[in-house]
Amino acid sequence: MTQELALRVVDIAAAGIVLLGVWLAITRSIGEATWLLTGQSLLMGAAALAVGAARGSVELMLGGVLAIAVRGIVLPVVVRRLLRDSPVRHERHAYLGARASAVVAVAIVFVAALAVDGTAGLPGGSSIRALPAAVAEVLTGLLVITTRRKSLSMIIGLLVFENGITLAAFAITAGMPLVVELGVSFDLLIVMVVVQVHARRMLTTFGSLSTDRLRSLRG
Amino acid sequence: MIEALVLLALGAPVVGGLAAWRLDLRRATRVTFAAMSVSTIGALGLAWLAFDREPVVGVGGSVRVDGLGGWLLVVIIAVVLLAIVASPRYLAAEVAEGRIRDTDPGRYYALLLWFVASLLAVPLLDNLGLLWVAIEAATGVSTLLVGFYRTPAALEAAWKYLILGSVGIGFALLGTLLFYASSVAHLGETSDALNWSRLMANAGALDPGLLRLGFLFALVGYGTKIGLAPFHTWLPDAHSQAPSPVSAILSGVTLAVALYALIRFHLVADAALGPGFSATLLVAFGLLSLVVALPFLVAQGDLKRLLAYSSIEHMGLLTLAIGFGGPLALLGAAVHLLAHGLSKATAFITAGDLVQQYGTRRLGRLHGTLSAAPDSGPGLLAATLLVGGLPPSAVFAAEFAILVGGIERGWVAAAAVAAVLLALGFVAVAYHVLPLAWGIPGRRVPIRPSSPALAALVAAPLGVVVVLGLWTPEPLARALAAVVTILGGAHG
Repeated sequence: MTQELALRVVDIAAAGIVLLGVWLAITRSIGEATWLLTGQSLLMGAAALAVGAARGSVELMLGGVLAIAVRGIVLPVVVRRLLRDSPVRHERHAYLGARASAVVAVAIVFVAALAVDGTAGLPGGSSIRALPAAVAEVLTGLLVITTRRKSLSMIIGLLVFENGITLAAFAITAGMPLVVELGVSFDLLIVMVVVQVHARRMLTTFGSLSTDRLRSLRG
Repeated sequence: MIEALVLLALGAPVVGGLAAWRLDLRRATRVTFAAMSVSTIGALGLAWLAFDREPVVGVGGSVRVDGLGGWLLVVIIAVVLLAIVASPRYLAAEVAEGRIRDTDPGRYYALLLWFVASLLAVPLLDNLGLLWVAIEAATGVSTLLVGFYRTPAALEAAWKYLILGSVGIGFALLGTLLFYASSVAHLGETSDALNWSRLMANAGALDPGLLRLGFLFALVGYGTKIGLAPFHTWLPDAHSQAPSPVSAILSGVTLAVALYALIRFHLVADAALGPGFSATLLVAFGLLSLVVALPFLVAQGDLKRLLAYSSIEHMGLLTLAIGFGGPLALLGAAVHLLAHGLSKATAFITAGDLVQQYGTRRLGRLHGTLSAAPDSGPGLLAATLLVGGLPPSAVFAAEFAILVGGIERGWVAAAAVAAVLLALGFVAVAYHVLPLAWGIPGRRVPIRPSSPALAALVAAPLGVVVVLGLWTPEPLARALAAVVTILGGAHG
């Protein structure tokens, strides 16, 4: 794969991640959100694969495969299984409605584009062009975590936030060392097992996965 | 040799956890004791070697234990052993009361052992990325222990712990990534470029802008796990809702493990950027934590939350000490790490025992513990007063060293404010625990006979804390000297 083709893949993936992120901030359907998360993860994996192939870096390509397998397939499948067992499928009465979320999501895109204007001198080379998308993804993840009430929405937000950090790693340094990537993916799997066990406990104790009931501890 | 010790330290709890999962209370306890004995040999062996001829390097350079890492191993083992020895009695009472099922103790021990394995991995790893992985793994496993009771309050606490902890630690990963970015131009894209020892050795060649940004993210990220204000809001919930022996580990040593990670970032930033930048931030956040904890200590109505806020106060003090720098304050920090760990763990264990006996955690309903509980009553009183800094004790000596060390280094105002806050914090804790000790226990409270085993479990750690305030044995002095060397910026 040539350098130019890899660059185009990175640009398209970055644009796609930003668009899916805005959609993710707006949608109220938790099922739809899991697909958007899958899309973002696959695009990120594709970008890593393309740059890895262009540079002949096996490590980067393995990182891309890992992103596709763990973040694109395993984690969304786990969330969808939880969704199937949960009576809650839609985000109602979120702290921020769809319209307000849309405004914030678009603002995030602008902020991300401006904030990373002075990125010259970073060691990432061509992949640095994905940095605005990474910053936007991190902020979108935080937006979802802080403004939703349903625990599955918050988990999706957390995974988007994590994806954003991994994308930032790809953009700034062409990925973390492979052992670290492996460790991070392993941790994500642990967190998902924990979420599953926790969700089961919440379902038996509360009969729902809404975090509305979780506000008694104060002071 | 090194590899074998690492295998004992980490392998035994992992395998022990697998074995304990399906066992009943009695058998799971035996397996856990065996696994922790083996692990202790490995961990203390590594620590001993690190104090003797530092640093200990093995497993192809992935494992590197210096004096500071060795000291953290000692503190982890001390607190964990205390919690594990206290667990059978606690679990038996919970099973008898029907608060947990017969199958739960096996799960409890399995999760606890895996939690301990991930904590022990932290001081062994040289790579800052893998260090992050170990801390995140500890967060994941301990979430299930925080939510162990499945009550609404416990599930809420576990949920907050998981979400806030994961977001916080996500920022720490970003900080780690920026440190990596600051070094790859010079060290190349290899996994050693994230090794702390290589970052220290090449500190002069790192990109200062990226390091500054990276340290800020590490401060927010690990600061959340340490419980530094204003990122501490999850801490009182998690530490009060977990089973009490788990609270002992969470408060006694898990916070310190996160602080250890932040110290590694601080040492690199300090070596590369010169003194001032990261130290000033640590002093500021340390003081803020002392300030924020105080009103919650004063107005507290829940025994375990009182202890949790006291941990926020003490982590603030430790962070302050690292920020002060200088041999005296750093020596104080090293001693404080062990003294706070032991006394806070004892406080949680005795508090858990009293909560089981009285059936409440409300401070207003706990009275007359000295007469109703001949071991835990005096134990809690002594532990909380020692944690507060009552002399003679190692906590008091450490606090004194930290404040005097701070003044010596020119942080006069910060040390003075901290001294006032610590004194007020002590008064607040005493105000709550003194009425608890005396008075008349309620008529429905069962009076417990004295138990020699429990008395020994409570007296041993508190005895160590008192004695270390008066006298430092020779091997310990050598270990502390090794810790202070690393904290002072040497990298062997």
